[in-house]
Amino acid sequence: MEFDISGAKIFARIPTGIPVLGDILITETLVVSWIVMLIITGLCIFLTRNLKVEKISKRQAVAEMIVEAATNLVRNNTGGTKFDNLIPFVSTIFATSIVSNLISLIPIFRSPTADLSTEASWAILVFIMITANKIKAGGLLGYMKGFTEPIPVMTPFNILSELATPVSMACRHFGNILSGIVINGLIYAALAIASGALLGLIPGAVGDFLSHIPILSVGLPAVLSVYFDWFTGAMQAFIFTMLTIMYIANAAEG
Amino acid sequence: MNTQPLVTLVPWTMIAQFLNLMIQLFLIKKFLFKPVNDILEKRRQLTDQAIREAREAKEEADGLKTQYESGIAKAREEAARIMQDAQREAQGRADDLVHEAQAKAAGIKAQAEADIAQERKKAINEVKNEIGGLAMDIAGKVVEKEIDEADHKRLIDDFIKNVGEAS
Repeated sequence: MEFDISGAKIFARIPTGIPVLGDILITETLVVSWIVMLIITGLCIFLTRNLKVEKISKRQAVAEMIVEAATNLVRNNTGGTKFDNLIPFVSTIFATSIVSNLISLIPIFRSPTADLSTEASWAILVFIMITANKIKAGGLLGYMKGFTEPIPVMTPFNILSELATPVSMACRHFGNILSGIVINGLIYAALAIASGALLGLIPGAVGDFLSHIPILSVGLPAVLSVYFDWFTGAMQAFIFTMLTIMYIANAAEG
Repeated sequence: MNTQPLVTLVPWTMIAQFLNLMIQLFLIKKFLFKPVNDILEKRRQLTDQAIREAREAKEEADGLKTQYESGIAKAREEAARIMQDAQREAQGRADDLVHEAQAKAAGIKAQAEADIAQERKKAINEVKNEIGGLAMDIAGKVVEKEIDEADHKRLIDDFIKNVGEAS
């Protein structure tokens, strides 16, 4: 039995001829991302229909709860209302991340977060915001000078640690989602082999036929999926969000 | 179908994902945060307004209350004053009545005394006249034999005349 895990499927390739950027690939990642966006936007529109001041519906209560939870999360972690304009961004990251992670529960979709490009673009964006906040807080000179502290010898290490921030953020998220996919794939493959071996013990054509049905795959993967898909998916979205808030808040403090 | 390597960085995908995130940010802002924050703000304003109105109403009520209380106090004072006046007036009238009655009683008493005095005087006079007549009678009887018929006649006439004058 062959078992391999590949990257996202490429549906179309648009050659651009630009040397560094290369061809535009319409991959599973992008298509599922659009589906994720549709889901989130649709949910937002659904939740905020018929908003009322009094006697609110359950939908509106949920919408208000989400907004208040996001607001409180950012305010509690930055200690004030200074970063209120960050709330929608943080919520967007969280929502996109968690829906992207969990959409793989529907077997035909592959998580967009199972493609390093996705996390890399988010992490680079966050890195740009961190840097922008640092420069805004201490000026360009202060930002540059920050690398030579506490002693100038540390400069390369400081630069390295600065660059490690987006790399670690992207790889942490990607690695967790990928590991879920890998482990799920392995479990399914292993269970298929196990049930093939088990049912192959039945002699004759019946055994031959039944051994192709991975009967043992029913049940156990669902239990494991609670951790590898649900928990990891939610956890990584939350971690990425929290790190975004923390890094930006710290950067602005100078 | 082709697949891309398991771990790879595709520049265009990164750009696309960045743009997707920005579009998603815009959509979430537009469809979730803006309406919900608007409604929250509206509710906050409504609550503030309700509180403000309640405070104003309370202040107004307090004003009215002090006004009423002062009014009631004034009215009570007025009532007390009127009562006092009435009492004083009644007292005065009662005193007047008593005085008047006393004066009248004194007048009646004086009149009665005067009447009594006059009656007494009159009675004494009558008694005096009676005694005079009787004395004359008795004197006439005593001297009857000594006087002659003519004198006798003249005396009787005098007597009758006197009696007539006296009565």
